[in-house]
Amino acid sequence: MAIKVLIAKPGLDGHETGAKLIARVLRDAGMEVVYTGPRQTPEMIVHAAMQEDIDVIGLSILSGAHLEFGARVMELLRARGMADIPVIMGGIIPKDDIPALKAIGVRAIFGPGTSTPKIVDFIQNELAVA
Amino acid sequence: MSSDDALNDAYKAWQEGPLQERTAPGELRPQHRGYSGVLKDETRDEFRTGGGELVVNRLYTPLDLAGVDPVHDIGFPGQFPFTRGRDPLGYRAFRWPLSFYSGYGSSESANERYRALRAAGSNYISLALDLPTQNGYDADHLLALGEVGKVGVALSSLPDMERVFSGLPLDHIHTGTVGNCIGPWALAMFVSLGERAGLDPRTMDVSIQNDPIKEYTGRGTYIFPPRVAVNLAADVVQYIRQYLPRWEHQYSCSTTLRWGGCSTSQEIGFGIANLLAYTEEAARKGVAPQDYVPWVHLHMTADNDLFEEVAKFRATRRLWARAARERFHTEDPRVLALRLTVFTGAHRLTAQEPLNNIVRTTMHILASILGGVENIATPAHDEALALPTFESTRLSQLTKLILQDESLVGQTVDPLGGSYFVESLTNELEEKGRQVLQKVEDQGGAIAAVENGYYLREMADGMVRHQREVERGERPVIGVNTHVVENEVPIHLFKGNADDERRQIERLERVRREREPWRVEQSLKEIRRVAEAKASGHDENIVPAMMQAVQAHTTIGEIFGILREIFGEYRNPTII
Repeated sequence: MAIKVLIAKPGLDGHETGAKLIARVLRDAGMEVVYTGPRQTPEMIVHAAMQEDIDVIGLSILSGAHLEFGARVMELLRARGMADIPVIMGGIIPKDDIPALKAIGVRAIFGPGTSTPKIVDFIQNELAVA
Repeated sequence: MSSDDALNDAYKAWQEGPLQERTAPGELRPQHRGYSGVLKDETRDEFRTGGGELVVNRLYTPLDLAGVDPVHDIGFPGQFPFTRGRDPLGYRAFRWPLSFYSGYGSSESANERYRALRAAGSNYISLALDLPTQNGYDADHLLALGEVGKVGVALSSLPDMERVFSGLPLDHIHTGTVGNCIGPWALAMFVSLGERAGLDPRTMDVSIQNDPIKEYTGRGTYIFPPRVAVNLAADVVQYIRQYLPRWEHQYSCSTTLRWGGCSTSQEIGFGIANLLAYTEEAARKGVAPQDYVPWVHLHMTADNDLFEEVAKFRATRRLWARAARERFHTEDPRVLALRLTVFTGAHRLTAQEPLNNIVRTTMHILASILGGVENIATPAHDEALALPTFESTRLSQLTKLILQDESLVGQTVDPLGGSYFVESLTNELEEKGRQVLQKVEDQGGAIAAVENGYYLREMADGMVRHQREVERGERPVIGVNTHVVENEVPIHLFKGNADDERRQIERLERVRREREPWRVEQSLKEIRRVAEAKASGHDENIVPAMMQAVQAHTTIGEIFGILREIFGEYRNPTII
């Protein structure tokens, strides 16, 4: 069965180019992709992940609020017994913040300029999903 | 023998002579021309412009301009069709202002940065707003969590605005803000700020971006359905033209369309389609094109291909002049001469080896100057990584001054005018831009192209195409897919103040406690009345009601809460 990925944009940041690009690339790589569109609260994202029976959650954040949103999403996933769903992140995320994100359980952070095959490969081979 | 015949003969002789010798099979190539080593073949079968739409020939000659009328097509600066610029004196009568699009954190942090920019010689301060503010939410709204003060300054009410500008000479600096779907509120904030400082707002220089269309196609801070948003933006235009003769009422933006993946000719065609839509909406409110166009900028970007971009600016001015003449049946240069602002190519800046971005931005600025644009704003080289530092912001601003004062770019008007290559590209881009414009007009114009997802689809396709080209190595990006280094040079990055969100929320609560509740209630009632009138087809300008609300310290969230209730919230079609 195809890996099912939720691409979500938490918060008010509306720069969707990256999120849509990744959604398209993953879809072209044979995954099933659900894209939330912008302006999602962490609650909405986790709810969508539950409803859609998602295998991987990808968060796209360019506003600088990645620590806040990352922490909240991870917390909600744990609270709902969904901590086994891997979360990956992309956007404008300073290197210095990566250890903090990894520490709360974000599996991988893909910054600007990441080649998209690398992301596909990571989901297919590194994450033990589907 | 006519000069045309002489040219044709000479061209033929060149083709059959030096060119043929040079392109002959390797062993037959002449080695006597002073070249060292083996003469190589051309590196590619076909050379194309950076935007990918046009083939670039080996050589351009007067023959490429055979159909071009030097008077009607190229002309003179300050004259129809404005190919060579809007001002007969070009940059000879111009100094680049030091302008900064900046802001972060609480009103105090922003004020501190603005004072520093002012001390560093800036006379133009453009206020960056945080996302809650741009979306019409107070700092304590559920969706504002973690976003307060992040991408700009948080402004929930008038006292925030006063703190931001505290100690800055409002009558001596040019200020303004983005604020696209909150235009009437932003206008009311600036007018009220001036009045509170004891100034006649008419003596201030303020620019409001006031461009909702870009939010549906770019940054995404849209609130209402597009037609409502365009109507509200036109309220700003109408109010400014009636009461604030020096204020700039709109920047119509195709920058974010290009950044989001659309092509060079689409940047031209979509940009002009958007501007036509705004001009017509203003006309419906009684602001005639000759009063509207002189105060607007078409806000474009500059991509990497230097000559293509120069040609793009020239083609855009000419296409606007021709399209507007046809549309508005006028010869009035106030309508036909278009001002261009450029926000250089932030989409081409890379997170890898950010210092390389200084070179890229320099070329973007050079293209803009050679294209004769009126205004240039630049991202800082570290912006792909984080919000810029003070140093990187200053460097990006000084670049255009170095080009003007030290490289002496701009001493003659339209220096590339008459270049066989640039004039050919200008012709081709104008023609392609015209086709794009026609396609949008056939769908019912810019607003329809937003609503039906056409813009979004074109952008998404372009973006995927570009990404694939980079990943396949067909499009070299230094530091990304070629000349990649493993250990990057660390650079100093900006960090915001984590305490700003808490401080902003506390202040918001204080404002709510200390204001006069009856004035707030009354002002919200008035906002509701005007909005309901609009919704039922009785258009009335909302700016006076905004002014009343802002001055009563009604918060942005309260004002836009009512408007959301009446106009509804819009959601873009999801196009991947």
